[in-house]
Amino acid sequence: MSADEILDTHLQELRRGTVVLACLRLLTNPGYGYGLLEELAARGFATDANTLYPLLRRLDKQGYLTSEWNTDEARPRKFYRTSAAGRTLARSLTDDFRAIAASIADLPQED
Amino acid sequence: MDATTLTDRYVDAAMHTVPEKQRADLAAELQASIADQVDARVDSGEDAHAAEVAVLTELGDPDVLAAGYTGRVLHLIGPRYYLDWWRLLKLLLWIVPACTAFAIALGQVIQLAPIGSVVGPAVVGALGSVVQVCFWTTLVFVVLERLGRETMDAGPWTPDRLPAPRERGARFSDLVTSLVWLLLVAGAVLWDVFRGLAFANGTWMPVFDPALWPAWMIALFAVLAAFAVVSVLVYRRGGWSYALAAVHGILDLLLFGAIIWLLLEGRLLNPALVSALGEATSAEVPRILGVLLAVGLAIVGVWDALDAFRKARGSNRAETRVPA
Repeated sequence: MSADEILDTHLQELRRGTVVLACLRLLTNPGYGYGLLEELAARGFATDANTLYPLLRRLDKQGYLTSEWNTDEARPRKFYRTSAAGRTLARSLTDDFRAIAASIADLPQED
Repeated sequence: MDATTLTDRYVDAAMHTVPEKQRADLAAELQASIADQVDARVDSGEDAHAAEVAVLTELGDPDVLAAGYTGRVLHLIGPRYYLDWWRLLKLLLWIVPACTAFAIALGQVIQLAPIGSVVGPAVVGALGSVVQVCFWTTLVFVVLERLGRETMDAGPWTPDRLPAPRERGARFSDLVTSLVWLLLVAGAVLWDVFRGLAFANGTWMPVFDPALWPAWMIALFAVLAAFAVVSVLVYRRGGWSYALAAVHGILDLLLFGAIIWLLLEGRLLNPALVSALGEATSAEVPRILGVLLAVGLAIVGVWDALDAFRKARGSNRAETRVPA
């Protein structure tokens, strides 16, 4: 494994949970798969489509998102929205993320 | 129209492993998502077909994508069960093929099969049992992995579960045990020669052929004495060495080899006892008992010899760990 690949793996590990948090926060305004993919990328949470789509399904199944079909437009799309449980989860995750950020800031400084 | 076909085929392939009741909903959503992605690429100037190919390539293997949707397990045995599977498999592979080979060989010997048709079927049987053990053990764990049941593992790991330290055979109790055994054997043989250990036809008679006394029996006592000397040397040295294990192995070979040879020659057991036993049951019984006895003795001899080497290895390792 090259150094670049190892770095990529570590970065992926570090970012894994943040996509869930970003989805829960963004979907307080209802959104659909591709639209969310674009918005995540624009906000610095670059995610693969084949990671995001199953993730939305999973959060839906776990009750953190609600979903409904929107057939108003020419192309019917499934819209997701953060549920009350999802908002609670997002708050916990955000608090924890801040705590981690603070802990990291307290770590001995590198040169 | 060729372009829609490619997406259709992709969605079909992905829905293959999705449960029936989620299929329509998931297919429609996936189709829309792909169409959105393709449109975005076309809007930025890509050719429609190239855009579709690019989007589907990025989504990757449809079965992998579907596994993400359904939580399908994409490994045969995962980390949760791997060690349990491996430990059980190793344990069974130590036990089952050996037992199978032994049982087949014993059956052949009792049927008076020539030596070639004793070894052949035993080896074939042992190899067959290796395949069976691997297959069925793995199958059970593959099913467990998919049902998500707990294994037979009792609770979390604790330091109590560390493997016991290797035996070195150097404690005083080991010395005493082996000397007591040797004395018991010698005493039993002497008792047999002068009083008889078997009760048949209303009288006590020797188990061993009286013709073995004195020459063979004295040889036996010499070998037993040599065993005792080895035990003392092991104790004084503080553990088995490979040299002592080798001497011990040669003694085992002499002792058990001679006993089995005499048994197969019909010179080990008291003829009066054998005929009494034959009359009481049938002529076959002494022969079958003889075969079982010979095989049993061979196993005990091999086990005893190997055990010494195992302990020699154990004390070798202990020495490399703690430099004197």
